[in-house]
Amino acid sequence: MLDFVGLESDLGDEERLIRDTAREFVEERVRPDIADHYEAGTFPTELITEMGEMGFYAPNLDGYDLPNVSETAYGLLMQELEACDSGLRSMASVQGALVMYPIHAFGSEAQKEQWLPDMGRGEKIGCFGLTEPEHGSNPSAMETRAEAADGGYVLNGSKTWITNAPIADVAVVWARDKSSDGNPVRGFLVETDRDGFVVNKITEKLSLRASITGEFGLNDVFVPEENVLPGVEGMKGPLSCLTQARYGIAWGAVGAARDCFEVARDYATDREQFDTPIASFQLQQEKLAEMATQITTSQLLAHRLAELKERGDLRPQHVSMAKRNNVRMARDQARVAREMLGGNGITSDYSPMRHMANMETVYTYEGTHDIHTLILGQDLTGIAAFE
Amino acid sequence: MKVLVTVKEVAAVEDEFQIAGTSIDETYLEYDLNEWDDYAVEEAVQLQEAGIADEVVAVTIGPERSEETIRMALAKGADRAVRIWDDALEGADLLDVGAKTAILEKVVEEEDPDIVLSGVQADDDGFGATGVSLADALGYEWAAVVNHLDQDSVESGTASVRRELEGGVEELTDVELPAVLTIQTGINEPRYASLRGIRQAQRKEIAPKTLGDLGLDAAAVENELELTDMYEPETESDATYFEGGPDEAAGQLADLLREKGVGAQ
Repeated sequence: MLDFVGLESDLGDEERLIRDTAREFVEERVRPDIADHYEAGTFPTELITEMGEMGFYAPNLDGYDLPNVSETAYGLLMQELEACDSGLRSMASVQGALVMYPIHAFGSEAQKEQWLPDMGRGEKIGCFGLTEPEHGSNPSAMETRAEAADGGYVLNGSKTWITNAPIADVAVVWARDKSSDGNPVRGFLVETDRDGFVVNKITEKLSLRASITGEFGLNDVFVPEENVLPGVEGMKGPLSCLTQARYGIAWGAVGAARDCFEVARDYATDREQFDTPIASFQLQQEKLAEMATQITTSQLLAHRLAELKERGDLRPQHVSMAKRNNVRMARDQARVAREMLGGNGITSDYSPMRHMANMETVYTYEGTHDIHTLILGQDLTGIAAFE
Repeated sequence: MKVLVTVKEVAAVEDEFQIAGTSIDETYLEYDLNEWDDYAVEEAVQLQEAGIADEVVAVTIGPERSEETIRMALAKGADRAVRIWDDALEGADLLDVGAKTAILEKVVEEEDPDIVLSGVQADDDGFGATGVSLADALGYEWAAVVNHLDQDSVESGTASVRRELEGGVEELTDVELPAVLTIQTGINEPRYASLRGIRQAQRKEIAPKTLGDLGLDAAAVENELELTDMYEPETESDATYFEGGPDEAAGQLADLLREKGVGAQ
């Protein structure tokens, strides 16, 4: 397995065990069927509770029966999940970073007790509603609104591109609170069986097919006051969740690219043309050398992010750089790996084209590549190009 | 009730490797928990979860590096571990069944378990005899190649087991405790260590012990066996393809089987 500068030889015992366990679980339980799921456009839902038993959801959080592993261990887990498929890592990212994290960070004690242990075990599933049909890169212009009503709020609006919406028990909905001065964005925990909550599955996807995606509408949905996340107001709420999830993506992309590399290297050393393995040709060697270099430099960035996160010095802009760089890297290198596989590479027998198609989603969700460029531009110049 | 599980870190060679004399350089080796022992650990942890065992102790003979592997047993639910190693063991070329038996016998005397579970064999040296030899030394009852254990029976002091014999024959037998059972793969479905289990395992004890701590000296690991050679066996494939339709192919197969003596009597 590619780890060219031996970053993983410096892991602690616990981190190495977590990596090995995740790798073994993925190899044995998920990889054998993942291509079939991808073709069928289904997620292996029987794995949701199994992944919960393994402790794969929000393992870096503390308390509420959660394992509280290091940020490096969490990153390695995301790397190993995405080495199989971005859909698998997305499941863990959404459940852990986008739903459990805001409940853990901003929720009331009662909300934490109610949701975190069950969600950690995968017995309850969450989804995260920020993006709207008319508001993607600029979520602060959201139209979803909450009006104070007797004992709670009434929610109206619609959210789309919501991973796991069709199977979720609860949605974290971000909406403008029309009853407060300045209409701040607030977070609401909306059980999906509430009256007026309507969900549709999005099926026509050519990317991230082994993942369940939906859209939902809120038509006068009443939630009691105790369903409001008390600890946060404004865009800081959803954006801080996205920083957590993007951190996992920066690691995951390394895993996907590594898988592409390993498949391409195996193929090139095995496949013979002109009476010699194609790996003996300089053109193929250049591809492998470049791929390994790109993966290794991205891996370095991910490991550095873990150190910064662990000691509390990680800024959202650091995560923007890593998400932007590592996903672009995986997107480019998946294509090179597919190329090395020749015609065989377009079948689902080999992972690179599946990763390549998945990376179109990953390149776009959780802040598009271009938006992360502008975040970095603002950080470097002090001038925001998007305001 | 206390269960002792013997576990071993086994070496596996990478696809490409080189033999230097009677050893293989570390750079070509990867270490893992012996597959059979993984099933033995799972069986022990299931006894604990069923409320039959109060404590599961893992014991291994191995260098400090092997703690990494033994932690996997702790992460899967063993309560604590004992690791035997010292310079005399480090210096030994080969640990034969007799040496392992002498060491494990002392550990069993110290721990006084009701039941000892051991993998049928180790994936690397593959002697396949340590468990039974240990039972003999201890004067314990034993059952080898166990592929089913009736957990309820254990509570009553007699282990009802099913064991594999040759030629697909199985035997049901009762073994009085204390006993050594050597565990066959397939007896259960070993769990994956959960992240929670891995975290807890970091706080569990792995007690290092030397031969001296067990009241033994270097003489205990003096082998009667000597490793004289190491080589890769030539793999010869001798396949015959029968041409033609099913009738023709079946006829040719029948001729061949007759020629080889099948059904000769």
